[in-house]
Amino acid sequence: MNERSADSALEVTLGRVLRAGVRFSTVALAAGLASALALGAGRVTTVLLVAGVLTLIATPVARVLISSIAYIRRHDWTFAVLTLIVLAELVASIVVAMR
Amino acid sequence: MPTVSLALATIIFLSGTAAGGFGALLGLGGGVFFVPLLHLALGFPLRTAAAVSLTTVIATSSSVSAGRAGEQLINLRLGMVLEVATVAGSLLGGLTAHLFSETTLQRLFGVVTVVAALAVLARVNRRNVLRDSTLDPGLLGGRFDEDESGGTVVYRVKRLPIGLLASFVAGNVSSLLGIGGGVLKVPALNAWCGIPMRAAAATSAFMIGVTATGGAIIYFGRGDLPPLAAAPAVLGVQLGSAIGIRLADRVPAKWLKILLVAVLLSVAASMFVRSTR
Repeated sequence: MNERSADSALEVTLGRVLRAGVRFSTVALAAGLASALALGAGRVTTVLLVAGVLTLIATPVARVLISSIAYIRRHDWTFAVLTLIVLAELVASIVVAMR
Repeated sequence: MPTVSLALATIIFLSGTAAGGFGALLGLGGGVFFVPLLHLALGFPLRTAAAVSLTTVIATSSSVSAGRAGEQLINLRLGMVLEVATVAGSLLGGLTAHLFSETTLQRLFGVVTVVAALAVLARVNRRNVLRDSTLDPGLLGGRFDEDESGGTVVYRVKRLPIGLLASFVAGNVSSLLGIGGGVLKVPALNAWCGIPMRAAAATSAFMIGVTATGGAIIYFGRGDLPPLAAAPAVLGVQLGSAIGIRLADRVPAKWLKILLVAVLLSVAASMFVRSTR
């Protein structure tokens, strides 16, 4: 497989990851919003809404992680390093947020 | 923070729809309009407005990229190179905030968007595509099929440092202004780096999610991101991006650029008005 067709296979994989993340968070947020408007604040509402937002925020991180794995497997070290730097930068944001 | 009623949820939903549409057409996350709407018009605190806006940007980025995947419009390699700069910028976000006051930052942003608008306008009739599909696009260039050109087109990347700088600055102001920075990336990629409009928009849409993620994580961690306010926006994005993707392929690149110029000029106007308040 040459570089270009490997890249378009990766593009399709990343598309699936992004779609799955967005679908899950959309369903959770829609249910959470409906629950908030119909029942008001409560445990179920909070769990649904927080799950939806966390999945949404985690999706781009998962996308970068999967890109790194794909480039490492292909021994494409330049892009493996670049995507790992992006991943490290995102992890640093999580560390900053937890302080 | 105002209570999220059905009426307020509907307004946020419709704004999310607009953001998703602009994301699909132009590669912008819509944060530049979302923040003033939430903060100035709907009365949300600035931090909350920025946090909800960043969440909308992530939703737009993921939805548009998922819808576009497989069309070779997203330039993965270029995107991943620029992401290093944009996320570094976002991590060093406090830097800009310490250097400039909010007013100065808004004026600077206004000046930059006017310059970007003029640069795109100057090249409105020139296309970055090479019609010879056998040409080598180089390490970071790309090729894609386009109805408008009637076949496969190729492009090469020029002046990469300008793309890196625009991405870094976009990341740097991202959490402060609640934007993904597509408004800086798309003009830089199209007017200076030689990327065709459609590929610039798709690649920007791909990147803005990662740009916005750093800021969104920090706002969420500090309790400034109310999921209930973000929920209707994310739902709106689904509708808007689906409509935008269908529309985008039918609109000629020239009109996409004219739309981009109009958006950039209204961003500039909004920044100058806000800086005088």
